[in-house]
Amino acid sequence: MHILKFRRFSLPESQVTPEALVFNRRQAMALGAGMLAAGPALAQQAGLPPAMRNTRYAPGRAITAEREVTTYNNFYEFGSHKTISAAAQRMPQRPWTVKVEGMVETPREFGIEDLLARMPLEERVYRLRCVEAWAMVVPWTGFPLSALLAEVKPLSSARYVVFQTATMPSVMPGLRQSWYPWPYTEGCTIAEAANELSFMVVGAYGKLLPPQNGGPIRFHQPWKYGFKAGKSIVTIRLTDQRPVSFWEKIQAQEYGFWANVNPAVPHPRWSQAQERMLGTGESVPTQIFNGYGDFVAGLYTGLQNERLWA
Amino acid sequence: MRLIGLVLLLLAAGLFVMFGTDPLGAVLFRLDPGILNLVQAVVQRYLLPMLWDDVLLPVLEAPAFVAPAVLGSGFALLGWMRARG
Repeated sequence: MHILKFRRFSLPESQVTPEALVFNRRQAMALGAGMLAAGPALAQQAGLPPAMRNTRYAPGRAITAEREVTTYNNFYEFGSHKTISAAAQRMPQRPWTVKVEGMVETPREFGIEDLLARMPLEERVYRLRCVEAWAMVVPWTGFPLSALLAEVKPLSSARYVVFQTATMPSVMPGLRQSWYPWPYTEGCTIAEAANELSFMVVGAYGKLLPPQNGGPIRFHQPWKYGFKAGKSIVTIRLTDQRPVSFWEKIQAQEYGFWANVNPAVPHPRWSQAQERMLGTGESVPTQIFNGYGDFVAGLYTGLQNERLWA
Repeated sequence: MRLIGLVLLLLAAGLFVMFGTDPLGAVLFRLDPGILNLVQAVVQRYLLPMLWDDVLLPVLEAPAFVAPAVLGSGFALLGWMRARG
């Protein structure tokens, strides 16, 4: 006869800590003692693993109120106005996969839960400067793009990284405008992608990234105008051909490939010298590379003939 | 009134010959890729978002000849009714 004996330390399977939570905690701890001094850092909401704040990227400005960031959005698939947050809730966030393909050794398709579990999540408070001359400061949770690219091993011939946003006609009214070059496509050079600031975002304010902000996963390069940051990304492709992005196809005079922030180069229809802070309405001077010149200025050495600022 | 209707109907015929059943939006985009984006921004940001989605977008999605054909028919009909007294 087989007799089951329950000991004091026995636990039911349902109380075991998920593997993802354990491993991400280890990754977060590995970020180092300097980061332990960070402020409100651990993500609380179920679904977003804990992430320590990385203080290396201090924005030098107050964080914008969450309500402002989550209710004032550009997401052209849902409309050209800023109040698309309600409509964006109809975009399903799970299941969600991101294909990484093209000029890589091992093309792969990642489930979003897989990315949340295996990537080295951290929180970074970044400035975001919209080409429309408004700005915000957001505590994003995510991981360096370079960590994702390391998983697929880019070929040495790859020169550009192209991001494509989801197309869901049933929930995205903007896609009815079939004459536009959907899907929303953006891109950067492989050197820009490898820069430490290039960040794949899966959360904000310690919660899963909401759909109106590009959930469940978006891209962000804080030294560039915001339209360069693809939202709700489904495909990342490495190529040797420079991509022509969505806005570049529509209005190349106004929106170019590089789109680095520069207060001295005005948009054809307005000045870029100042920016309006979301929430406070305060007008502050715009900084070259949005204040991140120490990290990225070297990327553009020898590119004086390129249209770097639009 | 009938003259306006006739002109619009001729325009509709011309658009049909030139662009077939291509949507009005696609035709405008071909002529000036930035114009619709500008109009949409003005309508949705300064007037009413739904005005674009529910009124203007269906017009832009229809074949280019439809809007002048409908308007032209309306004007021609009104002109004919007025002429009959």
